Amino acid sequence: MTWGLSAHARRLITLAIAGLVVAVLTRRPEFAGLAAPAVLLLAARSARRPSWITVRVSSLDDRLVEGVDSAVGVEIADQGRYDVELKIEVGDAIAAGPAVTVPAVAESPDQGGSPDPASPKPGRVLLPFTAERWGQRQVGTLTVTLRDSYRLTEGRAYVGLPVVGVRPMPAPLNSSVVLSRLPSRLGEHASRAAGEGGEFVGVREFVPGDRQRRINWPATTRHGTLHLSMFAAERTQNLVVIADATSYVGDVGTSSLDLVLRGAAGAITRYLAGRDRVGLIVYGSRLSWLAPGQGQRHYQRLLDLLVVQPDGVERAADLIRLPRAALPPGALILLFSPLLDPRLVEALRDLRERGFTVVVIDVLNAEPGHDASRVSRLTGRIWRLEQQAIRFSLTQIGVPVVHWDGAGSLDDPLAPYTRRAMVMRR
Amino acid sequence: MTASSTPPPMVTGNGTVHPPRSLRRKRAPTAAIAAAALLAAADVCWAALPTGSARAGARIAVIVAVICAVGSIVQLAMAGAMPRATSLPSVAERLTASLLNGLRVAPWAEVMVVAVLALEALHPAKPWHTAMLGIALLGYLLAVHLAETGAPAGVLRAQIPLIAAGAGLSAISVGAAALPGLPAGPASFVVRVVATVGVVAVGAMVIPTWAGGRD
Repeated sequence: MTWGLSAHARRLITLAIAGLVVAVLTRRPEFAGLAAPAVLLLAARSARRPSWITVRVSSLDDRLVEGVDSAVGVEIADQGRYDVELKIEVGDAIAAGPAVTVPAVAESPDQGGSPDPASPKPGRVLLPFTAERWGQRQVGTLTVTLRDSYRLTEGRAYVGLPVVGVRPMPAPLNSSVVLSRLPSRLGEHASRAAGEGGEFVGVREFVPGDRQRRINWPATTRHGTLHLSMFAAERTQNLVVIADATSYVGDVGTSSLDLVLRGAAGAITRYLAGRDRVGLIVYGSRLSWLAPGQGQRHYQRLLDLLVVQPDGVERAADLIRLPRAALPPGALILLFSPLLDPRLVEALRDLRERGFTVVVIDVLNAEPGHDASRVSRLTGRIWRLEQQAIRFSLTQIGVPVVHWDGAGSLDDPLAPYTRRAMVMRR
Repeated sequence: MTASSTPPPMVTGNGTVHPPRSLRRKRAPTAAIAAAALLAAADVCWAALPTGSARAGARIAVIVAVICAVGSIVQLAMAGAMPRATSLPSVAERLTASLLNGLRVAPWAEVMVVAVLALEALHPAKPWHTAMLGIALLGYLLAVHLAETGAPAGVLRAQIPLIAAGAGLSAISVGAAALPGLPAGPASFVVRVVATVGVVAVGAMVIPTWAGGRD
């Protein structure tokens, strides 16, 4: 802990010294009197300081989400008769709340005095902060400032706060794209096949061996023979989300990478809540993937993979063909991408040739900067035409491309494909 | 007693201090800044009077005092509004950050105090005029402190006896300065009485503070 004069004390010293110097130089005693209040205040400065102070920084939330309030718990002890101000000096993309002051206690019991029952006990202080952007973030430094009752002596100590993983805020998505053909796993989507689900799909004539509890009496009365109610089988769906992390264009906070991660997190959250099996491929300088799965633990692993991407560059030339193990047959693939990497476009063509149903959510919301010159305008126009051509070629091979600006929910761009089951064409 | 800005943290029965929920940036204490600005203006104006009888150099002292007064108020007002550091700042952003940092770290209040005292010394002012300036300067420094820390004015309650004692000493010094110039008679007698009362009052206030008020 570093002890020293406060800024207030330094100003009082300046006033006192300047007054005394002017009094001597000008031989005017009233200037010495002018310095008197400052000298008296400085003379009352506390000389006794606590020899130590105990600061315990308690657990942070280990699963932070960007834009969601969190807090650091701090416990202070042995502060003596000093007010303690706690403040977080924030790191990059972290916003902290105002400083919190823990009032002084009358006397510490271990210093020979008895605690004042009227003064509040030192306790656990919650210092709020918000991570404004996803990623691995250093929360900052906790500055502990001790002040005496005259505000003339200050002690400072600094406690480093840990690095936390901040997850992207999932984009709102309340509907889901469901394929017409679903794998034979019990789930919550009504499939074409008849089964034991709850959605009524029609009636048929009774055959020996059918369960009598399914007899549809209105139809039986109309036809004169026994008829049964038929229900759709309920199946799960395999979804693979591909997050294109190769490009970073646009403003910080609304860049293509921000939208890719938020969209991917939203899709993962929505489909896992619907008891589907969800996998993830992060398509960056290096390929990272998790095979489809279910459950809360799998959800946490998927979101961790979005934020904590492995370092290094490898197999950059071989990323055209995505791993077979990450793509179960018949899976629906949602790709979040600005479609600026030609290798990914080739990978999409390959996926389509392998029979997968792919929906591309285009998150490109920026253009290359250009000036007013004719050549610059021309290059900008050519660039836009190229982008349009890429999207057109994808739609021609059966890959729908929808645009999402990141401002609204994902339901709007995906609406044409969420109203009814999406038919898979080969 | 807490010293945070509004809204204050809530202390519950088990000693847990709950911070306010809002994460809005701490607002500068407007009342304290306004008080500091008023007192700074009053200090400079008071020290510059009377304007006609100033010696050489008074104009420079006025300019320096005004610049530092403005600087100190700007420093207080901008304390809570420092720009966020970006990963790739532009040249303009870096220049702005350097300028704001210079504004933030420069000792404006200290230089202003020195300039105002120099300005006062360059005028043939009466002793009571200088004593009033001293009280105003002390008020300015206390207002700057409150504005800087965002603390409520109640934190100064413990300092009131000392400030009063200092004011008494100032009164004594004014009397001492006025004595040689005063002719013998009732006025001189009154000043001596005031000085004696001041000494007694200072003793009555300072001795208990030193005996029991020190940590």
